[in-house]
Amino acid sequence: MILPFQHKRDGVHLSLAEHERALLGDLAGQLVTLLEGRDEADPAVSRLFPPGYSGDDEADAEFRRLTADDLTASKIDNAKVLIASLDTDRRTPLAPEVAQAWLRSLTDLRLTLASRLGVTDEGIPQPAEQAGIVLRDVYEWLGYVQESLVRALDR
Amino acid sequence: MTLDETDLRRLVAPDVPWVTIVWDDPVNLMSYVSFVFRTYFGLERSEAERLMMQVHTKGKAVVATGAREQMELHVEALHGYGLWATVSRADT
Repeated sequence: MILPFQHKRDGVHLSLAEHERALLGDLAGQLVTLLEGRDEADPAVSRLFPPGYSGDDEADAEFRRLTADDLTASKIDNAKVLIASLDTDRRTPLAPEVAQAWLRSLTDLRLTLASRLGVTDEGIPQPAEQAGIVLRDVYEWLGYVQESLVRALDR
Repeated sequence: MTLDETDLRRLVAPDVPWVTIVWDDPVNLMSYVSFVFRTYFGLERSEAERLMMQVHTKGKAVVATGAREQMELHVEALHGYGLWATVSRADT
C-alpha cells in the first residue's frame, strides 16, 4: 500500500491517487468559499477562529479585530496553495512552505468536517443518512492523510 | 482620562506575566499537536510530548509564559495551525 506522503532524501512527495487529489481539490475549494464568507453563525467558522481569550469578551473582541482578517487570509492562502500543488507528480518533492500549507489546510478541513459531523470527545456520532456516512469516511481519511504528512515531515 | 478594567489589572499587578494555554480538542491528532509544539516553539521532542500529553489528559497546558503581546502572537500563530489556544493572566 502506498502512503499518501513519502519521505525521500530531497523532501516530501505527494503520492495520492488521482481521484484522491480531485476530492481534496473539491474540499479545499469549499473551504475557500467558507472562509471567504466567514459566516460568524456557522459553528465550523467558530472553530476555525476560536476565541483568543476565554471569559474576557472585551479582550477577545479586540484580539479578533486585530487578527481575524490576517488569519482568514492565511487560511485561504494555505487552501489555495494546496489546490495549486495537487498536480505535483510523485517524482517531484513539495517545497517546504507548500508542505506547511498542506499541514495547516488539512487541519482546517478536518476541523470543518468535525464540526459538520458533531465530533466530540466521545467520538463521531453515527450519521443518520448516507451523505453523513460518506462525510465520516472522508473525515477519517483526512486524518490518515494528515498523519502520513506529519510522519513524512518528522523524519 | 479613564482606565478600562484591563489597564487597572495591569496597575494592580504589573509583574504578573501572561500565559498561552492550549486546550484539548477532539479533532487534532496527538502527533500533529506534538509536531506543532516542536516546530513552532522549537521544543525538544520529550518536552513537546509531555505538553501534548498534558493537553490530552488534563484538558489543557500552559505552553508559554511572558508579555501579553508575545502571548497574543503565539495564540494567533497556533490558531493558524488550527489549535485551540487562548491568552490568560498567569494568576487566573
